[in-house]
Amino acid sequence: MSTINVKIAAIKQVTPLIKHFTFVKEDGSEFPAFSGGSHVVVSLNIGGRVHRNPYSLMGSPTDTSAYHISVRKQEQSRGGSVFMHDYVAVGMSFKITYPVNLFSLAKKGHKHILIAGGIGITPFMSQIADLKRTGADFELHYAFRSPEHGAFAAQLAKVCGDKFHCYIDSEGDRLDLQALLGNQPLGTHMYVCGPGSMVVAVLETARNLGWPESHIHSEQFLAPPIGEPFKIQLEKSKIEIQVPAEMSMLEAIEAAGVGSRFSMSRRCMWAL
Amino acid sequence: MERGYWIRSKPVYTSLVWHEKATSHLVVAQGEGGMAVLKIFQQMHPKQPITVLYAHASASDVDYANTLKKVVPEGLQILASEQEVLDELKTILPTMRMGLRVYVAGSEGFIWAVSEAVKVFGVEDADMMKELTGTLARSIYCVHCKAITHNITTNIAKCAGCERMLFVRDHFSRRLGAYMGLMVDAESPGELPEIEEIYP
Amino acid sequence: MALAFNEETFREDYTYRNSLSGIKRFPFPFPEDQYMYSVNIEPHTKGKQGSVFEFPLDVDEHYVAECNDKKITLEQDPGRYQALPHMMDAQWDFVELTMESLARDYPKHFSLHKKGSSWTWENKPLGIKDTFTFGDSSTLPMEPFEYMGRQVQGDFVLLDQRDETLYADAGIVTSQADWSLAFNVGMSWREWHGPVPRATELGVMDRALKFMLNLQLGSPVRRLNWTMTVNPRLDTSPENYPYWGGDRNAVNPDNVGDLVNLRVELQSLFRLPRSNAIVFSIRCYLISLKDIATIPRWAKRLHRVQKSMHPDLIEYKGMTKFHPMMVDWLAKFDDGAILEVGTQPE
Repeated sequence: MSTINVKIAAIKQVTPLIKHFTFVKEDGSEFPAFSGGSHVVVSLNIGGRVHRNPYSLMGSPTDTSAYHISVRKQEQSRGGSVFMHDYVAVGMSFKITYPVNLFSLAKKGHKHILIAGGIGITPFMSQIADLKRTGADFELHYAFRSPEHGAFAAQLAKVCGDKFHCYIDSEGDRLDLQALLGNQPLGTHMYVCGPGSMVVAVLETARNLGWPESHIHSEQFLAPPIGEPFKIQLEKSKIEIQVPAEMSMLEAIEAAGVGSRFSMSRRCMWAL
Repeated sequence: MERGYWIRSKPVYTSLVWHEKATSHLVVAQGEGGMAVLKIFQQMHPKQPITVLYAHASASDVDYANTLKKVVPEGLQILASEQEVLDELKTILPTMRMGLRVYVAGSEGFIWAVSEAVKVFGVEDADMMKELTGTLARSIYCVHCKAITHNITTNIAKCAGCERMLFVRDHFSRRLGAYMGLMVDAESPGELPEIEEIYP
Repeated sequence: MALAFNEETFREDYTYRNSLSGIKRFPFPFPEDQYMYSVNIEPHTKGKQGSVFEFPLDVDEHYVAECNDKKITLEQDPGRYQALPHMMDAQWDFVELTMESLARDYPKHFSLHKKGSSWTWENKPLGIKDTFTFGDSSTLPMEPFEYMGRQVQGDFVLLDQRDETLYADAGIVTSQADWSLAFNVGMSWREWHGPVPRATELGVMDRALKFMLNLQLGSPVRRLNWTMTVNPRLDTSPENYPYWGGDRNAVNPDNVGDLVNLRVELQSLFRLPRSNAIVFSIRCYLISLKDIATIPRWAKRLHRVQKSMHPDLIEYKGMTKFHPMMVDWLAKFDDGAILEVGTQPE
């Protein structure tokens, strides 16, 4: 997989728990444009072990001078977010992947309902730029804990105008999913990103109302849960690898020194 | 070009069954498709509002309009033709909301004409339940002159546009609502394989 | 190095020809004496200098003639260009990819100057120079995808990614083998590949789809495909089958070396940035049996590959009528010497 060498150009504390990082390319050239909802995977070398953390790109997809990500400090972190918050400084260099989009807008959608919870706002930042650029019909519904945790809320209110709806938990605001999803015109697509429980509630409401699967899009933006340690056996090389609780399988394979084959052997057979 | 073909583009049709999860239902049928409507109304009715659009059959088909009036409790509209159904869809769909379930029954040509009409309002064919009733006759798109010839029941047929003899491929375009027709004797003019009735 | 462009035709009098260097750089697709039913996809990275893989988009001596042939085909049948309305971002992605590639890799022939979103594009071989606003279709003489699709050799299909599959939602297709864009536009991957025999049984098409859904920006891939065709004709479309289908009857043992051509498709796939769509590029290279015979190694190899070809595949590739004549003709160049694995000419 091709990677891009970047360095940190700026860091900004956005909320008590969220920091915003600006990347520029090390060689000073432009980044590729990308599509709203894309993320990059940032490689972090923490104590000799490579962590790969995906972060949504937040800037406008047409601004190719810099890439922007925001990181929420996770209490139960696997190391990545704490490292980003406490050790990363302006000028430091990283390798990132090219943008990948697993949460893209439905281009044929007639209307788009974006539902964000907390740090789940990040993939919508670039989507909103795309929706505004193409003049698409959309609404943003943003729920967060308390006023100081509403990252980018003021900026979004300005950019989205009356399309912006926010729900502050500490002030007793509640998003009525049934009312929101029960009264949308045909051709509407719905997107949700936030904590697991919120995503589940939104998906369930949409399905119960009869929304077809192709109109429901979700991204659960949480670090993989910390699991039990376990062992895996690599079929071909007969190597047994211990996967520690806070490591993913691929990271463990890589730490054991057989990783390159995994990501590089993407050759595929194709007929005729 | 006449080679071995696999059929992945051919649509799958099923029997109509109510979706449990919905905000409303729209049943669209023509001619023989009335039978499919009668069958679905024998199932337990859903709680949500139902609209039924039914177009009279062409002269040769059985007409279910009177029977449907007895079976469908409310929301039934009887229309004169396929065209009237398509026009009515344009009138009612803008007020419909997400969670609407669409069911279509009739000839293949009717099903895909309805599909094109609802697509404009953001309803994709994957989200629509479709039951093929009555004839298996096919519409054929001539890849040479682009004319579509209807009601073909044979493996080889004459194009209504350019009059070439076309071999009917098992390759279906949902957008055109037709199978692909390709000149059968381009390599050896006048040499036609035996014409068989295969889609009665 | 500046290219010299041939004056030649791909229809009627068929004056198409390969120069000596054109023959040498031909992407010969058979590394072994037996044709393998499946082919590897490999990264579309920079190849040897002068090879067809040197740059992402190859421009060769046939560039001008091919663009002219494309123009004739589009004039006769505008349906060879199709683009569904939601593909506009992908159209501009295509413009960026093609203009940047050509201007960077062939600076003697093409240039691109950007001033913010105001771009000036010059194509010297075709005598085109336009200044337009990137992202604003009204500033180009036609839709952006058609505009550049006419200025690059080969066919292009733009695939939209949604619902875990790919949809062929736009295309400019004037040199295709056996499929119709006007019929197929808007189809999903599975619908589109309906007519591929047996491949679906093997799950090959599903595996290829999975691979493509994961295609990464900045990491294009390629593969070669091939068939044999009568006359160096680019437009072997189903649309015009009535006009070229009969050509197969004209082949006889005396003219087989001139009439029968090996047709190789360099297929490449690029993820596009703004649209997250994929561009599927199908570039066609043609060479007559007679020209192949000037490279002894290739003549021997092609003879062995064709001689051992499975009858089903002969039928699928449309070679039934002239296949025995072709094998006989090639036999006289094959002394039976052992050939090492590889596609190199010497």
